[in-house]
Amino acid sequence: MKTGRALSSFVKQLVCITMVIIVILPIMLTFFASIKTGADMVNTSPLLPPPVERVTGANYAKVLDDKNLITGFKNTLVILAFSLVFNVALGTVTAYIIERFDFRFKKFVISLFFLGMLIPTFVTEISRFKIISGMGLYNTLGAPILIYVAGDLMQLYIYRQFISKISVSLDESAILDGCSYWGLFARIIFPLLAPATATVCIIKSITIINDMYIPYLYMPRTKLRTLTTFLMNYANAQQGSWQTLSAGIIIIMLPTVLLYVLFQRHILAGVVAGAVKE
Amino acid sequence: MGTNARQRQVFILSALLIPTALLIAFVVVPGLDLFRLSATNWDGLAPDYDYIGLDNYKKMFQDGNLWLSLRNNMVYFFLHLLMIPVELAFAVVLNSKMRGAKFYKTMVFLPYIINGVAVSYAFSYFFSPVNGAMDALLAALGLEELQQSWLSNPSIVNFTLAFVSLWRFSGYHVILFLAALQSMPQDIMEAAQIDGASSWQLFRHIQVPSIMLMVDFVLFDNIRGALQVFDIPFILTNGGPGYASSTFTLYTINTAFKFSNFGLAATMAVAIMFMIVLIYLVQNVLIHKVLLKEGRR
Repeated sequence: MKTGRALSSFVKQLVCITMVIIVILPIMLTFFASIKTGADMVNTSPLLPPPVERVTGANYAKVLDDKNLITGFKNTLVILAFSLVFNVALGTVTAYIIERFDFRFKKFVISLFFLGMLIPTFVTEISRFKIISGMGLYNTLGAPILIYVAGDLMQLYIYRQFISKISVSLDESAILDGCSYWGLFARIIFPLLAPATATVCIIKSITIINDMYIPYLYMPRTKLRTLTTFLMNYANAQQGSWQTLSAGIIIIMLPTVLLYVLFQRHILAGVVAGAVKE
Repeated sequence: MGTNARQRQVFILSALLIPTALLIAFVVVPGLDLFRLSATNWDGLAPDYDYIGLDNYKKMFQDGNLWLSLRNNMVYFFLHLLMIPVELAFAVVLNSKMRGAKFYKTMVFLPYIINGVAVSYAFSYFFSPVNGAMDALLAALGLEELQQSWLSNPSIVNFTLAFVSLWRFSGYHVILFLAALQSMPQDIMEAAQIDGASSWQLFRHIQVPSIMLMVDFVLFDNIRGALQVFDIPFILTNGGPGYASSTFTLYTINTAFKFSNFGLAATMAVAIMFMIVLIYLVQNVLIHKVLLKEGRR
């Protein structure tokens, strides 16, 4: 029995360590490339780091020196800020009403939101493109902001689950005390939703920072690069210089990995809540 | 009471107005508009266009490259399907008492978090034909004869890309399975263990039935995901060589934004929607009427 348990624990560790190696390997090798000189890219094995005395930070310096990286960072932050504020404001109130109130067109509204989840992501742009362009938002930061605010609905599930756990008696006593509905929402419900709001903000940040397609499609202008489209353009310009591109890859990976390291618990809880929606 | 009911109505109406309007204008209307556009020859720019009936549908069914692309989607679908038992096993392992479980959980989900474009380029480097890490790895293991043009050999490229997709998305399912396992009442497990049930029996008769709903979701997610594979081939090969690694969504997007045939592209988008809903319904019947009925005693 004891040896059986030891053996099974050994096998488990072996399996997990293999998984870790598979996860880390492509990132680690990219990191190795990012600290190599052009000559070492040819002379050393891609599986090994460069000899310590030839480690270089030149590739990183070159990427960080690119003005478009700063532009990309700024644009990403602006898109993030606006999308998050609107997503939270609209998401909290929508989820609250759907979860707590009965009204005449409730079924219809709910089925609208369900329909919204069924419509496939990428191909919808074929018809959405002319609407956004028609509003004069092509090549503006407004295009991704509007699409992220209107089109991504996962926050509703997170908020609804959270609201269903808040006691209804709170609402009732506030109304009896003469509080208006908006007052009740703004002063009591919204603050109570803070943990869910944190989860929503972190998960949305990761999705938005990582999104390639919407900025690529709607904002081809150089001045409107995001972090992700910056990397795409950088890659096209660095054709063949893997060491510089590798530095770019590592830099673009960092923001979301950092968020993950800091807020892992929120992220995992939110991802699960976003999936389990009945 | 009358004023209260009124206040309520005003609150509901004023609060739902903006989110519902946004949803209708930018999600529901574009989604439904795809059906209308699929009957036109719109080029994406011209102010007017003709209604051409079902011509686009005919064209779509005769488009060999689209069928080739759909076949490529199947590679992603089947490889991800094969991974589901592995993902489930991983979740069970991570759920058991083991040293380092927290660290492993962090690592297994890491690829899902990382910027997909950055990952794609990292793999582009990994599989590169000149000084590529994959070939170096094989050489180090003495397996030189397995070295390949990973991203340009038409009979291999889809497997390479699907591998990248597995690398990126498998952790998501592991985390979902793990959450389902953890939401299971612990006392049942312990009671069964005390009664002498083996790990396999526990897994087979207690854990599996209780996570069937999550399996259901993961299966559907796999279908939806496989049909909508886009960014990995877009960045790594742009569907090439030729159409060897094109996917249905990539082909649809290119039909619209590269070849300016929005009418035909809308038809393909309708086909994607149709396939998703159809498979969703079939699966619902299969899982809920056939499988779960059996499991319920």
